[in-house]
Amino acid sequence: MHIFVAEDEKTIRRELTILLENAMYQVTAPENFENIPDWITEASPDLILLDVNLPGMSGFDICTSLRQRENTCPVIFLTSRTDSMDELNGMLRGGDDYITKPYQAPILLARIAAVLKRTRGNTEKTSYSYENVRLDLLKCTISCDEKEVELTKNEMKILHLLFMHAGNYVARQDLIESLWDNQIFIDDNTLSVHVTRIREKLRELGRDNFIQTKRGMGYRI
Amino acid sequence: MRWRDYWKDKALFLIFEGCCMAVTCIFLRLTGYEKGNVILLLLFWTLLLLLWMCREYMERRKYFKKTAEILEKMDQRYLLGELMPPSWRLEDRIYQNMIRRSNKSVIEKIRKLEAEQQEYKEYIESWVHEIKAPITGISLLCENGRKEETGAPERFRQISMENAKLENYVDMVLYYARSEQVYKDYLIQSCHLQEMVYDVLERNRFLLIRNGIRAEVNCDEDVFTDKKWLGFIVNQIVLNSVKYKRENSPCISFLAQKTTDHTCLIIEDNGMGIQEKDLPRIFEKGFTGENGRNQKKSTGIGLYLCKKLCDQLGLEIEAQSKAGSYTKIILQFPQNNYISEVR
Repeated sequence: MHIFVAEDEKTIRRELTILLENAMYQVTAPENFENIPDWITEASPDLILLDVNLPGMSGFDICTSLRQRENTCPVIFLTSRTDSMDELNGMLRGGDDYITKPYQAPILLARIAAVLKRTRGNTEKTSYSYENVRLDLLKCTISCDEKEVELTKNEMKILHLLFMHAGNYVARQDLIESLWDNQIFIDDNTLSVHVTRIREKLRELGRDNFIQTKRGMGYRI
Repeated sequence: MRWRDYWKDKALFLIFEGCCMAVTCIFLRLTGYEKGNVILLLLFWTLLLLLWMCREYMERRKYFKKTAEILEKMDQRYLLGELMPPSWRLEDRIYQNMIRRSNKSVIEKIRKLEAEQQEYKEYIESWVHEIKAPITGISLLCENGRKEETGAPERFRQISMENAKLENYVDMVLYYARSEQVYKDYLIQSCHLQEMVYDVLERNRFLLIRNGIRAEVNCDEDVFTDKKWLGFIVNQIVLNSVKYKRENSPCISFLAQKTTDHTCLIIEDNGMGIQEKDLPRIFEKGFTGENGRNQKKSTGIGLYLCKKLCDQLGLEIEAQSKAGSYTKIILQFPQNNYISEVR
């Protein structure tokens, strides 16, 4: 996925580029802001992050100009202005979302993913398997050989994260933070409780030591 | 102007007239005037004097009554000088002129103060917008730094937390500056409470995780309000819960309840609670109470702002608590039956 970033603040542009690249997006971030609409048309990105206060042409005008050229590429406005009128303005000019600074990185990534999902359809992976254990995100189950056990939402999210980093330790802190990103607001003790339950379910499948604990480090499958 | 006061005021003049009458009588009697004629003259003189003074009393009373009425009806009383009833009397005109001049200086002073305040407010707003760029920069730097292999994730988390505090203080300044004139900056729209709560929790992610706080969110309801302002209010409440949390397994729960004429958002924590004697005053400006004094980091502004913004948005805010056990803040959203029926 290709994202075009129009942001004039140097630090923010640099960090935003790193953040998006870490999230596996391809990024174009110009440093001067003449003829942005032409530039965008040429680059034909999948999504545009547009700062409202740009030197020369404002983000709103750029969006209007894009829409006039019948460019339907989704636009997310980024701004430090918090007037409600601005937000309304952004939507009227054909923006798809509006995020105010200071934004939290996870929120930004979630909004980007949501807009892309809305405009492109779902391309996310729905099942994982590792060492013969299969996690099905749609059915919310975990299975091994012919046996299958149902999971709760929280258990599934925990396993999802472990499967994404299969073979590596995931720190408890990172696990908790990722769960918070997924709207599961638990503390350290609750995490232990959930992992214990998952272990019990894995035992039912006959995979006793599937999840390993390393004290002070975290969990690994 | 009262009858008695009027005569009291004229006492000196009456004494002078009395003296004049006495001197005239003595002079007339000495020059051989008849006693009867002198008495007649005196009576006539007194009658004329009384008539004149009554007339004057009526006229004065009418004038001041009218002025008082104008003053009563006026919105800005310092504008009286411009609206006083006309008078043929020299004295009145001199006073009116003086009042007018005095009022003018007051008006000038007020205008100047208003302009200064407006400028200050505008500066604060633009400052808030400016400072948000570096705050965003720091937040992104931390987020990227945390993920670097060689970095020190713990340090970046700490910086992130401090940055979030900074962000909240900056927000407080902005909302304080705006709290007088909400109408300029709100957008009432359908707001999903669950999403709004998620946003607030997300914003305070590091702080909450660090404090080992668990959150339960169960508020799948929509209300009509301004999302941003509501988010700010809920944020203050969450920050308070963190500040006054209990030591083992602290928890915050968000629950939405819908009844026929309103929707409630109930935010409950199991923290140290509020003393009963402090409870009625927690929304007052600058009130810190027992908890605030013990912790020494309360300013007494957070909840005051919440209350003020709630008033502006037409929400009810209420606190229930038991010291050492829980605190419950209830936000009540009026529900427009018309809108929900049309939908």
